[in-house]
Amino acid sequence: MTKLKLDGLQKHYGTVAAVKGIDLDVAEGELVSLLGPSGCGKTTTLRCVAGFELPTGGRITFDGNEVTMLPPERRDIGMVFQNYALFPHMTVRENLRFGLEMRKVDAASMERRVADVLGMVQLTSMETRYPRQLSGGQQQRVALARALVIEPKLLLLDEPLANLDAKLRDEMRFFIRSLQKRVGITTLYVTHDQAEAMVMSDRIVVMFDGLIHQVGGARDIYDRPATRQVASFIGLSNFVTGRVAGRDGSLWRLETSFGTISCGAGIAPGAGSPATAMVRPEAIDLSAAPVAGAFPGRVSERFFLGNLVDYRITMSDGTLLQVQQPATAAFAPGDEVHATLPAERAWLVRDDAA
Amino acid sequence: MTAPSPTARPPGVRPRWLLAAPVLVTVAALIVVPYVNILVMSFRVPSTTKPYLPGFTFGNYTKALADPDFFYFELLFDTLRLALTITFLCLVVAYPVAFHLARTTSRWKGVLYALVLSPLLVGVVIRSFGWIILLANNGLINQSLKAWGMAPLPLMYNEFGVVLALVHVFLPFMILPLMGAIQGIDPRLEEAARSLGAGPAKVFWRVLFPLSMPGVQSGCILVFVLSCGAYVTPALLGAGRVHTMTTEVITLLDQFLWPFGAALALILSVVGLAAVAIYARLSGRLMRGLA
Repeated sequence: MTKLKLDGLQKHYGTVAAVKGIDLDVAEGELVSLLGPSGCGKTTTLRCVAGFELPTGGRITFDGNEVTMLPPERRDIGMVFQNYALFPHMTVRENLRFGLEMRKVDAASMERRVADVLGMVQLTSMETRYPRQLSGGQQQRVALARALVIEPKLLLLDEPLANLDAKLRDEMRFFIRSLQKRVGITTLYVTHDQAEAMVMSDRIVVMFDGLIHQVGGARDIYDRPATRQVASFIGLSNFVTGRVAGRDGSLWRLETSFGTISCGAGIAPGAGSPATAMVRPEAIDLSAAPVAGAFPGRVSERFFLGNLVDYRITMSDGTLLQVQQPATAAFAPGDEVHATLPAERAWLVRDDAA
Repeated sequence: MTAPSPTARPPGVRPRWLLAAPVLVTVAALIVVPYVNILVMSFRVPSTTKPYLPGFTFGNYTKALADPDFFYFELLFDTLRLALTITFLCLVVAYPVAFHLARTTSRWKGVLYALVLSPLLVGVVIRSFGWIILLANNGLINQSLKAWGMAPLPLMYNEFGVVLALVHVFLPFMILPLMGAIQGIDPRLEEAARSLGAGPAKVFWRVLFPLSMPGVQSGCILVFVLSCGAYVTPALLGAGRVHTMTTEVITLLDQFLWPFGAALALILSVVGLAAVAIYARLSGRLMRGLA
């Protein structure tokens, strides 16, 4: 069980900054995802932790021991690659033994550990196969087993499910998560798939452009995004801009051009300053009759999504809101509706674009 | 009315094997026919006044293989030893070059690639003369040594010069297949090996080298076969003092002993092919997981 700590980690390629100084603590046995669009620096961060890239600034420590400049073979990590990177000239068994041979583990415990891990990933019958004789999902599990059999300090996964088809990907999410919990290994997981990050992680680190925008649980990230970018990367969102009118306890009043709404915030904007509130489409309530605190609008478009109906509502000032309601609610394009934006589901975000 | 059977060819379309016809004709005319000719020749009765005398004999083969002094056995052995030395040196020299070329992202890659191929643009005779200018007893190197007051070195008219020049000549034939094989190795495999605790040497011997075996195999076979059959460079740089099966065959042809030369040439071919077959077998076992 190892604690991982990143301290002002930076990676520059010439004049291009891939990682611009990030701080992160990962607790023992915790699974932390690095989530973000491609090019956000998540993979570079992982590769710095693995030792494949040497940082140009900052420190990396495992349990307080600095490893920043150590080559990968001396870090004691287990890594799973997007394309699995199994040795094609070795059988499953030989692939698993490789790391143990490098550690000069004696023959008897080698046998035992390989058998244990193969059991864990349910591939006991496959040990004499070559990688190319296995399906994608099986190769994935071999890669996981190869990383775990050496009982590393840290497990690093680089988009391990990106090459699997959707159904298998769903299964593997739960499989990897339960395996990680059972083994209790500290894990860093890189993905661009928000659902994957939300299902699997204890905490999610959302990165954009080489910087961490937010660190938190799935709920925090979804309901209380720190920035506009985080909100729009994770799920669907409406952004309503206006001016801060004041505050009532923990809620802020935001004066928009279709009316004043209340919202929570993790930031403290000054009264009168411009601000952006985020409301998820499914958080907005629609009703035909006027309701206290609701704002009038008109249904301009309607899409049937199966379990949901997706509406575009034009508000009195022309603002377009996306609203998702259960398929039982029925409004037709052109209908007058009244939209309620609940204060507990509206959230002020930092908006660098505004 | 009956439907045409699915295998029937529409009228006017020729069978596909016809596409191979030009190659078949060329191979037959340039390889099969001459080999059959040599085979027949090797059983003729030699004569010093005309190509051969009437009748057939096994005499050429018994003369070569049952020689009491084992002269031709030794010659064969020397030829194979020379070819193996050249092959091994080519492999050692070519591997780092091929590796660098396969993995470099430099914008000079194209230039480097052209440089590797450039020896092939110059005829083998010219290249051998180039080496003679450098290595001869009064060549560039020995003149420089003399100018610095050092004793001259025997660089030519011996195996050293022949091996050096042939390694140079055959290097592209080793680099190209190696490069192809190394380019096909996913760099992530190296990273995987390192993450599992393998240092650079272990990564090379346990992962890179085994995975580049297809290139090692074809490069070695090419260079070995070319070395066995090399004539111009051994003749020019050995200048009559380095003897191989090929130089001996040419000498016999000069002496008008065509049938005996043909027998020697066929013995070399068979032994060389057998060596290649054994090598392919052995290296094939190292590649069982590949492809």
